[in-house]
Amino acid sequence: MSAQAKTGVFLCRCGEHIAPHINLELLEGMLRQEEGVAHCETMAFPCLKPGIEQITQVTADKQLNRIIVAGCEGRLMLNKLETQLRPLELLKGQIDMVNLRGHVASVSDLDPDQKAQKAAKLMVAAVSEMNALHPSSLTRAKIQGPVMIVGDGIAAYPAAAELARHKIDYLLTVPSNDPDDIVDTVHETYPGERVSHDRLKKIVKEGLSNPCATLLVGYKLEMLSGVTGDYHLTFTNPNGETEKFAAGAIIACLDAQFGLPGPGFGHDGVKVMIPSEMERHIQKSGAPKGTVVFWVSDYEIGQPEFAALSAKTAWQMGVHIRQCAPTSKVVMLYNQQMEVPLTAAERAQNRALDILWVPYDKAMQPTVQDGYLTFCNLSDHVEHEILWDYLVLSPQRMVSGQALNTAHILGLVHKHGRFLTGHHARVRPEMVGREETYLAGSARLPCSLQDTLAQGRKAAAKTAEMFHKSAQGDLFVPRVVCVVDPEKCIGCGQCQELCDCGGIGVADGPGGGLPRIVDPMVCTGGGTCAAACPYHALVLQNNSNDQREARVAALAQRLGPDESMAFVCGWGGLPAADVAGKQALKYDPRIYLLGVPCVGQIDACAMARAFKEGASGLLLVGCLPETCHHSYGLDHAWARVSTIKKLLSLCGFDRRRIALAHADLNHPLDFVKTMDSFTRSIAAMGPIPKSLENQNKLDALYGLIRNNTRVRHLLSAGLRRPWEEIYRGDQRHALDYDRDFSKVLAEEFLQQRLLMVFRKAKGPFNLDQLTGQVQEDQKEVATCLWDMVKSGVIHFSHMKHEAVYTLRK
Amino acid sequence: MITFKIDGQQVKARPGWTVLETAREHGIEIPTLCFHPAVSASGACRLCMVELREGTWSKLVASCIYPVAEGLQVHTDTERVRNVRRWVLEMLLAACPASPEIAALAAKYDVVRTRFTSHDPDQTCMVCGLCARVCDEVVGLSAIAIVDRGVHKRVGAPFAKPTDICVACGSCVTVCPTGAMQAIFDSVRGEPTTALTQLAAQ
Repeated sequence: MSAQAKTGVFLCRCGEHIAPHINLELLEGMLRQEEGVAHCETMAFPCLKPGIEQITQVTADKQLNRIIVAGCEGRLMLNKLETQLRPLELLKGQIDMVNLRGHVASVSDLDPDQKAQKAAKLMVAAVSEMNALHPSSLTRAKIQGPVMIVGDGIAAYPAAAELARHKIDYLLTVPSNDPDDIVDTVHETYPGERVSHDRLKKIVKEGLSNPCATLLVGYKLEMLSGVTGDYHLTFTNPNGETEKFAAGAIIACLDAQFGLPGPGFGHDGVKVMIPSEMERHIQKSGAPKGTVVFWVSDYEIGQPEFAALSAKTAWQMGVHIRQCAPTSKVVMLYNQQMEVPLTAAERAQNRALDILWVPYDKAMQPTVQDGYLTFCNLSDHVEHEILWDYLVLSPQRMVSGQALNTAHILGLVHKHGRFLTGHHARVRPEMVGREETYLAGSARLPCSLQDTLAQGRKAAAKTAEMFHKSAQGDLFVPRVVCVVDPEKCIGCGQCQELCDCGGIGVADGPGGGLPRIVDPMVCTGGGTCAAACPYHALVLQNNSNDQREARVAALAQRLGPDESMAFVCGWGGLPAADVAGKQALKYDPRIYLLGVPCVGQIDACAMARAFKEGASGLLLVGCLPETCHHSYGLDHAWARVSTIKKLLSLCGFDRRRIALAHADLNHPLDFVKTMDSFTRSIAAMGPIPKSLENQNKLDALYGLIRNNTRVRHLLSAGLRRPWEEIYRGDQRHALDYDRDFSKVLAEEFLQQRLLMVFRKAKGPFNLDQLTGQVQEDQKEVATCLWDMVKSGVIHFSHMKHEAVYTLRK
Repeated sequence: MITFKIDGQQVKARPGWTVLETAREHGIEIPTLCFHPAVSASGACRLCMVELREGTWSKLVASCIYPVAEGLQVHTDTERVRNVRRWVLEMLLAACPASPEIAALAAKYDVVRTRFTSHDPDQTCMVCGLCARVCDEVVGLSAIAIVDRGVHKRVGAPFAKPTDICVACGSCVTVCPTGAMQAIFDSVRGEPTTALTQLAAQ
């Protein structure tokens, strides 16, 4: 794969959707002149079989290594093109699409020649991006070695049994190597499952005694480092010594714990219990005699979503009691909002055993008294009292203690206030969708024992599949992932804090000032971490900041004085624009759309670049607030936009030239309003007047935001972290923060401008000359110069009784 | 190379192409609704019907799924084709009377009213399944599918509830030929109903 771009541009006529609206001959003529364009042709339908065969032919003949298809929605079509062109070693990132149909042809009333001009600007920008692309080579992921099963959850045993079936070695942390001990304590996390205990014991035995197994009895996980395929896990063994193990993959089996209901429920652990306590009671002294009331109190303790689960396990326990002690009475008391979670067969069994289900009015919380429980009857609204000898309440479900600790070490906890489900997990080896994390057990989301065992089996089956793929050489590293340049990385850890997929860590060790590494099999390519790196050490490969800047610059240079550009995010703005185009909604043609996967991956220097190259206005259109697909990309974009706004103010330009907007793909009319309002306000403002002074300011603005590590550090430090539930713009006092940040920007901006004066012409300069050059307050310039002297950037001397300054080499 | 004729015009095709793809490559227009280049063709809407002739014998086929063959005589604009197209459009008008896209397409072929009874005046979906195919083949998920059978067939998410499987990419909305997916989309995406409780404090 050569780095030198040879781009093939294929323009689509698309029946009557593009050709009559855009003068394609004119467009083709213009594009042929562009640097890097090795081939340009207009086709009837590049997306259909004849078209793709033609593209394949031309690509092979002319040795093209980049393809741009100008047609319709890349969101829909790129997948097909990438699949079909893969035999030619054209991979993701080397094929791009520009939506001429939806962003140019159908959305305005311009004549075909004008539309061709507009299309040409967008196409040239895409070509420039391709020229700046350094495609990565296709890398195979190697995953070998044993699988580590950690967390002491019950799902570990079916997972182990499944791995043994695939003849994969595994390390298994267990509290004890006696299957009886394990099954005897399973009621602590899964009460009411006595029916399954015999089967469970068989599975546990299989997992513990297989020749593939290495058992770590009583080991406690302390630290995890490394990446998928090459993990290092540090444990403390029962003797208190540290031991280290290598593993190719990790399966986390974590179970949720039970907490006690609050004092209002009268829990005493003797007569009023939670199910796990009741089961211990049954284990110790047999089924209780008398009336046992199971109150499904999940609605009252604030977790109604688990009412059905609690009711089911309570009922199973009730069945056991009735079977063991036929003289006992079992009553299930439940909130009217809950549906009775029994199947037809279970209902029949329920009738045979004569277990009573009593619903109560949701308006009144049942009250616990000694030996009685008051509830409001649903049918007659009379308060009834149930007599009980034992009362069993629903437990509080939570992840705590050792399970939570392990989850933290494995990077499974990213947002507080949740169970562990639905998050990008460190132990997830491939981007296989949110639900298929390699995490099993009720800590994921409370579930029954059956579900947990199934999850464990599934996790192991998926891991085995991945091992198999890796052995066959069919497992590839995703194309668009972050990579760290260890030469540039200083180990500040900003990226690791911001990353929500848990893909950033250190190769070996606890963290600190060590260079970071990215686990490519976990990285989701959100890229806000790369945009936040103060040193540009983190790069999103095949979709880098350099590419984006090249695209922005090419477009900005060609924009007219009242034209503006907009970044549209792949989940909000871009689909909204596509839908608007499909419905042929008309909006102001003076706006040019550039698609990005997420507005959070746009580095502030790419925004500054647009103004440096002559854009009058820049809009970023993301998703609706709090719906960002990459966690907080939108908030990060906000912080970057706000920085550019401050800098524009410092330059004396209108702050409104850059703005953040939100779009929902299902509301294309709102998108049209957004486009119109922004374009008109920019057109009314007019362009930034072209003068040497203004250009110097814009160059300084860009230089500052691209290279000044102080500003970049501050900007990254202020970004919303994945654990922040509410974001108010900053972690501390909003106004104080804003003032401080503005002050730093002003200070650094003046330094940057002075530096540019020094760099442009040979000194020495005296204070008056410098003040004249930057047109700022003399006192401030003097302070700034003194700071620069102190930090060793410039040199200070006397000449003819006057202080003069020169740039240090 | 396979040589055959479309509307009397000599065309060349490679094995594996369909009649529709060959016609489009040669600039011959055939109307379609449920066809989208991003996904496999399914021949659901029958709007792309063309006539194959051989002597006095002729038959109608859906061009989007009919493979090319040597010596075919394809006609895209005969009386028989126009007639079946009008019938299809009339049926579509009855099936989704509220869709402006269908109404506009029908008007293009001079169909402005339908003789079939319409069961739901607000219906916009013609159940072509394009959205479900896109979700499966392009996005790689199956958040939506065609559910139920017969006259109750419709597009929806599992259990007709917002689903976590949907990533809200909007591909289905973009491809929908009748604009029906806009209304269905909001019942598919969205927060799943499970509200989650606290982790214990560290």
